[in-house]
Amino acid sequence: MKKCSLPLWLALLAPALAWAAPNPKLVIPEFAGLAQKASESVTITLDPALLAMAGRFLDGNDPQDAATKEIIKGLRGIYVRSYTFDKDSAYQQADIDAVRAQLSAPGWNRLVQTQSRKTRANVDIYIMIDNNQAVGLALIASEPRQFTIVNIIGAIDLDKLHKLEGQFGVPKLDIDLSKTPAQGAQK
Amino acid sequence: MSKEIESRVHAALRPVAPSEEFSQKLLARVMAGQPVQPKPRRLLGDSARPLAWWLTASLAACLILAVGVQQHLEQQRLQQSGLEARREVVEALRMTSQKLNLAYEAVKNQSTSLSDEKSGV
Amino acid sequence: MNDETPDPLDAELAKARSGERAALAALVQAHQRAVYSLALRMLGTRDLAEDLTQDVFMQLNGNLRAIESNKHLGFWLRQVTSNRAIDQLRRRSRVPMTSLDDEQQLFSAEDDADPLLQRHLRTLLLDLSPPARAVLLLRYQEDLDPADIARTLDMPINTVKSHLKRSLETLREKTFSTQPARCEDNST
Repeated sequence: MKKCSLPLWLALLAPALAWAAPNPKLVIPEFAGLAQKASESVTITLDPALLAMAGRFLDGNDPQDAATKEIIKGLRGIYVRSYTFDKDSAYQQADIDAVRAQLSAPGWNRLVQTQSRKTRANVDIYIMIDNNQAVGLALIASEPRQFTIVNIIGAIDLDKLHKLEGQFGVPKLDIDLSKTPAQGAQK
Repeated sequence: MSKEIESRVHAALRPVAPSEEFSQKLLARVMAGQPVQPKPRRLLGDSARPLAWWLTASLAACLILAVGVQQHLEQQRLQQSGLEARREVVEALRMTSQKLNLAYEAVKNQSTSLSDEKSGV
Repeated sequence: MNDETPDPLDAELAKARSGERAALAALVQAHQRAVYSLALRMLGTRDLAEDLTQDVFMQLNGNLRAIESNKHLGFWLRQVTSNRAIDQLRRRSRVPMTSLDDEQQLFSAEDDADPLLQRHLRTLLLDLSPPARAVLLLRYQEDLDPADIARTLDMPINTVKSHLKRSLETLREKTFSTQPARCEDNST
């Protein structure tokens, strides 16, 4: 069996190095068991190659395509996992906890945490900032019969995302980046 | 269509090489495990490879034709892949916005009820 | 290709059997790509694939005398790699979480690569049972016909054909069931 031959000094430095370069890419489980139970599942994995390919097929003359093209220009990945079930509480919060735990890592800041009694939906939005620029977004939405995880990597322009209002029904969120907690701050 | 998907799968499953570092390590390990039994080198036998010129030329012609057809199929495949990628981007952003909207609604409702409380409603 | 044409690696095999290291190295170099690719796509991660590849060739070292020809060697390597990978997968209680970077290594990064098909293939490989996965790889990576696959895996030929049919159907469904949203679709 392979043995780890990492020098000790490198192993000790690794956490510091990891902190110095936060990674906005989440490791998302396969959710194989849940996928089987779900009535509908959506898995979208758009790496840099696929995003570039999609960009070539977006029509710059069409307003929606042009806006989409602008948004994905600075992105290096979009990853979506969404599972819908036939009945309430078909999934456990523990199923999503492996992802949520990663958002405690240095670099992630919770932007919004909402709980709605009306829709019984909980939505957490996290953002990773590096040099005063958003470099990663993570969204976890849990509803009675559905949960969705979205991870966007790259230079997210929240302002451009706002301007998609009406195109995809994106609302203005009134999120002011200057009021975001400092990088590395505890939530 | 069956042939097309088979050929695409075949292309996608072309063998991939291990890293150079691993290859070197593998060779070293395998050879270290080999018992040392020095033997005199045998002379290799001649291996004649006769190829008629006409056979080469007709093979080349077939290859050129095959490449042309392949390129056309490749273009079609790439277009299909591109359209699919575009659809996925649109769907991903739509889903993201839908969930952002949930958060927005919750924040808005909370703001409304807070201002109602303040004005004594 | 003429079956009568002698395989130059047969000569290397004969030399390797009598102890020549350089000949053994030539055989390893000739076959390592196929063995490694099979291991990688069966097991899903580079580390496990490298371990298995190494084990298979070490096992070859002790079994050279039983190998009669280079063609037989190819058959033996595929058989051992597939069966050991299947055993490993059956022993694993759960599929480990893999980062999306690992996915990139499963396929070649050549210019004509089809990232979408590769992604569907990756999902399919993950969903298939270990024997079905081996069948798919032996057919489309190693170009074996169903009879050879049946012999390699010691599986009834009808089971091989059934695995292939279902895998292709699933892949076809995923690849061709897409509805592009509001775009200039020039495809016929």
